[in-house]
Amino acid sequence: MRLVTVAPALPANFYWNRTVTQAETSAPNAGFMARHYFLLRRLHSLSGIVPIGLFLINHLLTNSSAAWGILASRESEHSGSWAMRGFEYFWKEVRWINTQVPNLILIEVALWGAIAFHSILGFYYAATGSVNTDRYAYQGNWRYRLQRISGYLGILFIFYHVATLRWGWTFLVPGGTQWSQDFAASTLAMVLRGGSSGITFAGLAVSLAYFLGVTLLVFHFANGLWTAAITWGITISANSQRRFGYACFGLGAAMMLMGWISIFTFLVADPAKVREVETRLGSPRAVAVQAGDK
Amino acid sequence: MTATAQTPRRTATPDRTVTFRIKRCDGPGKPSYWQDFRVKVPKNSNVISCLQQIAAEPVTAGGERVTPVVWDSGCLEEVCGACTMVINGKVRQSCSCLIDDYAPADGDVITLEPMSKFPVVRDLWVDRSRLFHNLARIKAWVPIDGTYDLGAGPKETPASQATHYVLSTCMSCGCCLEACPQFNLEEDRDQWDSSFIGAHAISQARLFNAHPTGSELKPDRLDVLMGEGGVNDCGNAQNCVQVCPKHIPLTESIASIGRQVTLHAISKFFRG
Repeated sequence: MRLVTVAPALPANFYWNRTVTQAETSAPNAGFMARHYFLLRRLHSLSGIVPIGLFLINHLLTNSSAAWGILASRESEHSGSWAMRGFEYFWKEVRWINTQVPNLILIEVALWGAIAFHSILGFYYAATGSVNTDRYAYQGNWRYRLQRISGYLGILFIFYHVATLRWGWTFLVPGGTQWSQDFAASTLAMVLRGGSSGITFAGLAVSLAYFLGVTLLVFHFANGLWTAAITWGITISANSQRRFGYACFGLGAAMMLMGWISIFTFLVADPAKVREVETRLGSPRAVAVQAGDK
Repeated sequence: MTATAQTPRRTATPDRTVTFRIKRCDGPGKPSYWQDFRVKVPKNSNVISCLQQIAAEPVTAGGERVTPVVWDSGCLEEVCGACTMVINGKVRQSCSCLIDDYAPADGDVITLEPMSKFPVVRDLWVDRSRLFHNLARIKAWVPIDGTYDLGAGPKETPASQATHYVLSTCMSCGCCLEACPQFNLEEDRDQWDSSFIGAHAISQARLFNAHPTGSELKPDRLDVLMGEGGVNDCGNAQNCVQVCPKHIPLTESIASIGRQVTLHAISKFFRG
């Protein structure tokens, strides 16, 4: 007796009837994104750290100098009281950036370009994902989701922040304050307080937007730094990923603290008193002394 | 690891009735609908044994006689991956899902859904072709098909064997893909080669790249993995490693392939 095996005919496009060839994966008629896929992916990852992340650290250090400058600055003839020393330090930092850093506008344009590149590609990549934190409520999955949310909201905040404080779109600022490098501390306080007198509700809303914006962006950077180490293959074992996670958490926590302290310091500042100090600092004699210092 | 392992096991009520809320579908492209079935579960039942009871007596909780619920299964000992489905909202194998753990009290409800990342064939049965297609994309095999005897292969050290054994336990079940926010349903086969390949294939690429003979195909694998839908599409949510029933260190595989792809790209930049 013969045993006959009857097998159904496989469809012609069944998976093992197709083989993936080199030509197929890098077809010449593939789009620009597909042809330079790896390069763009890794440039996207890199651009979040250099220059954007490094700039963010520097930016938060400068801003929070209004608080820690109290400790760092020397006795000054301009500040008067100790509380004003931080604002003096901050004023001098901003003055230095705006007068002594060469090709500042080129640096700024390069930075805006990097942010535009990172966010446009980020939108494109985020569109390939989905959300399933309801079913898989793991911490890592929440960070995956928050990374995308913080990217969307973060770029809105960056645009508002740069447009109002750098490009002078004062119609978006309650009280219409125009930020000026000559009055860097007092005008910033007026932006966050909603005017030159007391704190207004609109000012509190701006401060809240800054609080959320800074918090989300710092999270985006710290978590992105952690995932970049996996993407590039720097942290391979689960243990090394966990250890680097602690480092990124520490960095993120320190940066958030700097951001929050900055907002708080300017929110509670008295713009009139700060302006007095700035006026003294901006006098021809004081500027000459400062230029000699540097 | 899982929630059931952490919480102390509750004693299951004997001779209880458990409701199975099943997401059904009559065929590809047809709409899904829910049906409840009441099953009297004996001690030590699992989801498959309950589905067998439903198949023998396909009457809904409302008393309506319906077509039997269809499911896929094979080994019934959590090594083939065929019976993978979404149970109470989380993906796992139904054969190893014990009712005494999931529904210890009378009247408890267990929901069964087909995996959402693969096209449904019928009811709880899905077509996992894309999963196997993605293994073919990265040539997850050792090339030994030749016209002559190749002799003994290169030696494996016990240390590397220990590292790679766990990678070889992958049963292609699809849990990592079901839980992955970057791997989504794609019914158009022409899109498969540019869509995310998945943690299982990345881990298999690591296994075969590490194999002394399998490493012959390493450049081919890395070319695919550095392209569209490759390892760069991973979003590092790391759900895969949480749901893997074989506890395969999938995220370590992804990071390892990330490093291999980084070095491969540098090598190609200067030599390719």
